[in-house]
Amino acid sequence: MPRSLLILAVLFPASTAALHGQTDYYARVGAIWASDLLRDVIVSEINVRQSIAPMVAFGASLPISPGYRVGLEAAVTSGGFHSEEGPVETDLGTLRTGSLLLNLEGPLAQGIRWRAGLGALMYWPSDDTGIFRQGGSTRWLAGAGADYRRPAFDRWDFMASLRYDYHRFTTDELEARDFSSTQAVSRVSLSVGVARSLR
Amino acid sequence: MTRAFRGPVLGLAALTALACGDIAEPIRNDLYEWRLIVPSGAGEDTLHFHWPRAALPVRVWVEETGNLPQLMQRAIDTWESVYLYREFQAELVGDSAGADVIVRGAPAPAKVQLGVTRLPSALAPQCSGATDLDVSPDLTELRLPVRIFIDPVSGDLPGLDRCLGLTTIHEMGHALGIFAHSPNPTDLMYTDPNVEQPSARDRETAEALYHLPPTIQAVRPVLE
Repeated sequence: MPRSLLILAVLFPASTAALHGQTDYYARVGAIWASDLLRDVIVSEINVRQSIAPMVAFGASLPISPGYRVGLEAAVTSGGFHSEEGPVETDLGTLRTGSLLLNLEGPLAQGIRWRAGLGALMYWPSDDTGIFRQGGSTRWLAGAGADYRRPAFDRWDFMASLRYDYHRFTTDELEARDFSSTQAVSRVSLSVGVARSLR
Repeated sequence: MTRAFRGPVLGLAALTALACGDIAEPIRNDLYEWRLIVPSGAGEDTLHFHWPRAALPVRVWVEETGNLPQLMQRAIDTWESVYLYREFQAELVGDSAGADVIVRGAPAPAKVQLGVTRLPSALAPQCSGATDLDVSPDLTELRLPVRIFIDPVSGDLPGLDRCLGLTTIHEMGHALGIFAHSPNPTDLMYTDPNVEQPSARDRETAEALYHLPPTIQAVRPVLE
């Protein structure tokens, strides 16, 4: 027992240091566009849309096999949302989202890597009113994208990312009002940032 | 297709296949007549009103008597919560001069002014309510302010607070555009209501009336 503990005591810091050396970190800022959150009909058609919003993303990944990595990526966005009924547009306040994706990534082409993942997306409205009267919403999220990286500094790479993600939107208030099914929402983001160089 | 491309392309194809389908809105067809039907030269005219977006929030002045301001704030909150897309908003104001709606904690005057339509409600022994709508002779204008009267008939009878609460919400329902009474006793907008919150039918009626073009416009009388 003491011997195994000794081995663990030696190996754990060594493996942690090795993992740290192989861990990829990055941060990006950009903009995100989302398709309609909701389509309703009260006499005429009403669509609820989010404005193009700024976003910030952070992530980290570890190697799992040569060329492939698994990682976590968190992103937050904050922007307005509004309803449109014909030419009439009504501001509905501010909507913040936070997402967390567990990603698998691999090589695609020189300097470009693909990624795909699953996770969750949370909506945090500024006011508990209207479609968010009973509060925000948490939904499953699936996403995919591509990252382009090129060396920029000694220890940092420039990173540009294109992301697509998809979820089904609804809220407790919409369910309470007998909206059935859920709304397919697609989001596309473009962002740039820096990543820790693994060269 | 190279092996490197196969994974992401198949993933994107699967996501695209999933990205179909919309939420389905509820059927909103359980409405009652909310419009004000008034006699006109040719017989009857049907008047429909709602506050325009530019007039929001509707300014409501409330007489400082009892807990009437608190009851009216609750009435505003109740009706605002009916709407999904901020169709109606109101706020309490301190100056009655510019108010769109004036609420008094007193019985409605016995004599109704010429041109004013009174919607009497809540015929309970504890309290009563009324809303006066001043429509122009040519039936195109709603002359502001809308006047609401909430009368605590008796301060001794049990159930007074409940009566005042539901009557205040009921009268605010008139002020936002429901210019008639529901024929159904389970609706808050029934003539003599006995429920404390808008029913699904009240809600659907209130929603619908804000998505149809009004036939009368709110105007403020010009000081001579």
